[in-house]
Amino acid sequence: MTWEQLGGNLIQGLILGGVYGMATMGLSLIFGVLRVVNVGHGAFVMVGAFVAFWLFTALGLTPIAAIPAALVVGMALGFLFFYSVMRRLVGAPELTSLLATFAMGIILEEVVKLIFGTEFRGYNWDVGKMDLSVTVLPLAKLYAFIGSVAIAALLYFWFNRTRAGTAVRSVVEDSEGARVCGVNVGWVYALSFALGIGLTVTSGVLLTMFIPVGINPYMGGVYTLKAFVIAVLGGLASPYGAFFAGVIFGLIENGSYSLFALVPGLEPFAMTRFLSFAILLLILLIRPTGLLGTK
Amino acid sequence: MTRGATKYLPLLPVYLIYLVLFLVAEGMPGMWQLMAMLVFYCAVGQAFNIFLGMTGYVNFGYVAFLALGTYGMALSIYHFHQLPLGVGIVLLGLLLAVVMAVLLALMVGAVALRLGGAYFAIATIGVNEGFRYLIEGTKIWGGSEGIIFSKQLLDTFGREVANKLSTFWADVSVLIIAALAALITLHFIRGKTGYALMALREDEEAAKVMGINVTKYKLIAFVTSAALAGLIGAMAWGLKLTYVFPPEAFDISYTVEGIIIVMLGGAGTLLGPVVGGLLYGLAKYWLTVILPGFQLLIFAPIIIVVVVAFPEGIVGMLRQRLKGTPFEPFVL
Amino acid sequence: MALLKLDRVTKRFGGLVAVNEVSLEIEQGELIGIVGPNGSGKTTLYNLISGIYHPDEGRVFFEGRDITDLPPYERAHLGIARTFQISRPFGSATVRENVAVGALFGTLHGQIGVEEAMEVADRYIELVGLTPERDKPAGALTPVEKKLMEIARALAMRPKLLLMDEAMAGMHPKDIDKLVAFLRKVRDEEGIAIVAMVEHIMRAVVGMAERVMVMHQGRKMVDAPTAEALGDQRVVDIYLGRPLEEV
Repeated sequence: MTWEQLGGNLIQGLILGGVYGMATMGLSLIFGVLRVVNVGHGAFVMVGAFVAFWLFTALGLTPIAAIPAALVVGMALGFLFFYSVMRRLVGAPELTSLLATFAMGIILEEVVKLIFGTEFRGYNWDVGKMDLSVTVLPLAKLYAFIGSVAIAALLYFWFNRTRAGTAVRSVVEDSEGARVCGVNVGWVYALSFALGIGLTVTSGVLLTMFIPVGINPYMGGVYTLKAFVIAVLGGLASPYGAFFAGVIFGLIENGSYSLFALVPGLEPFAMTRFLSFAILLLILLIRPTGLLGTK
Repeated sequence: MTRGATKYLPLLPVYLIYLVLFLVAEGMPGMWQLMAMLVFYCAVGQAFNIFLGMTGYVNFGYVAFLALGTYGMALSIYHFHQLPLGVGIVLLGLLLAVVMAVLLALMVGAVALRLGGAYFAIATIGVNEGFRYLIEGTKIWGGSEGIIFSKQLLDTFGREVANKLSTFWADVSVLIIAALAALITLHFIRGKTGYALMALREDEEAAKVMGINVTKYKLIAFVTSAALAGLIGAMAWGLKLTYVFPPEAFDISYTVEGIIIVMLGGAGTLLGPVVGGLLYGLAKYWLTVILPGFQLLIFAPIIIVVVVAFPEGIVGMLRQRLKGTPFEPFVL
Repeated sequence: MALLKLDRVTKRFGGLVAVNEVSLEIEQGELIGIVGPNGSGKTTLYNLISGIYHPDEGRVFFEGRDITDLPPYERAHLGIARTFQISRPFGSATVRENVAVGALFGTLHGQIGVEEAMEVADRYIELVGLTPERDKPAGALTPVEKKLMEIARALAMRPKLLLMDEAMAGMHPKDIDKLVAFLRKVRDEEGIAIVAMVEHIMRAVVGMAERVMVMHQGRKMVDAPTAEALGDQRVVDIYLGRPLEEV
């Protein structure tokens, strides 16, 4: 394998990593505000993928249009789940919210299976390619990357410049203090959860711009693990840490694929999947609070 | 409070149920498969309960230990069938199953159990993924194609005995393992370990300050639960099906089912997983006839309702009702 | 040799110094009161002694042994027990089972079985007067009963040092007197257990403590026999919020 190939691979990894990072921001947001680990994360990504698929094949809408649609769908789902279930779990033992979010994920998978069946779906959105000397980059992937960065930037703006965002930050810092200052903490919880879910569903759309095939109700599981590795890498409560950790993860994943491919007797695709888990254990062993996060 | 034999009273209902299952299966030819499935779910429930129910930590990668058990049996029969061990080869398979499951549990536990519940859950999410892809990636143990060892079983034992092993003995072994798991659970609940686990489940920090080495006890529960899973996998999947295939063996739906069985039946109780196993198994069986593939869609919302409103589960609530009645010592 | 010794122990949280170079010694069988306004570092001090926090600087010694790096459960085995400011019962277990946990894992751990632990538990439940509630789930007790249960649970550990955190808060003065008398009796009979109380409430301090330490903004300001400490102008200033003269 040449340096050019490795370089090309890394560029692809960088682009993919941006999408991974964006996919994890929702997870980190929910944990940061509500201290809840959304174990059903992957299922929501899957929902976004199906939103993109359906809008494209049934209504002919491009994935770009699917982005805001997914955000709306996601936030609606988030509010629904929050007010029906999560709200009752404030103060409950950790196990309860873990099992509840897990069960939510299962319900989503089964409902989607009911509607769409278990076959693998896909769509083809060909908008041309960009020729960088070391690799050929389909423009769809580039748009996915730009979309991810844009959303991350918007989120940053929202957190730091709007009243709602500031309220959320205050609750993360000190929920009692925020309450005393007049912040409606219950509403902040609901909004944060819904936004987190919304971001996660939206990332499913971006993901299909990258990998427009293999869409099926059970595709989410893989992304749950990746998201957790990234989240722990970036600091479980930090959405920005998550974004950068995602980029790093994308680089590692692609780079390692090339390296594994060089070793005879190894199956590189499976090995990169194994690598995610190994990295996770390694970080938990050394520095559970994340390489980039604070608390 | 509990002296001598009265300590074992709670086992009575459990063993009674197991006995009834066995008798029905033996007596009514068509019922064997159903009974085998019910016993399987009771066994898995009991094994899973020792960790989930007693520590309050959830191991999302639980199925990996069932899978490892299957591999233990598969590897033993596939590679060692030439040795003149007779039935010992099956016992070797069981030994391998337990050893591998325990090793994985120790490795994962040593890293993850020191951390709190959320981080632990995250760590275990990847265990079955990670292990499956390690096998597929390094192409050991048959890689992504798995191992089929029916031929080796036939060669070693001849058609009649091999058949009997794969059908009768495999399922009866699961029953025996379930009975063993019940005994272990009782011993844990009533013994010092039970108190330590109760304390750390309720309030881990207070438990530490009271002198409980919480990591040690979490590890004991985790490894025990894993070892039992290994045994179950070796028998119910390995010996019975005579093949192991990674995508099936590491299928996360078994973890989901384990969670349903334990939480619905009553986490941390002795009788709970048995009740849960029966209910879930029967429901799944009947649903397969009328609405195949629907059982998760029906049970997943039930989990939510249970954890939100009835965390003690069916047997937990039953225990409350039976306080002060003569039935109390029988339901644990 | 002092039972407990802290040598210039410091604990910081981010920019805040919760405990600032505190040194103290407690002898066997002493009755100590630690007082100080909210935020003066009392609870952090307790957490440092029981092992929940590790000091950023300084060392902790118990019976001459450096326990600074020992985890909480080993300190419990050595004989350090504590109660919490907000009661932390094991809610779904009975009172008896709660107290038995103390007996099983305290200083007798490894030598005591479940049945024996139950007997020890029954004894201490009787001592605090909770026998009628023995088989109730601990979560169903009144706040005062929960505090009593915590005390029984801590005593069942057969400790050498008992740290009590705000045990009297919300108690009727008559009950406080009863509890103080009870603790004195425990000290006299068990001999070994030290009862150190962290209190705002003067009644309890005067009734029970032989020596008083006053905490203020993470530092130990005063360490003297009770009458002397309470008469100290600095103590008055701390409680009335007047600025202290530079010490």
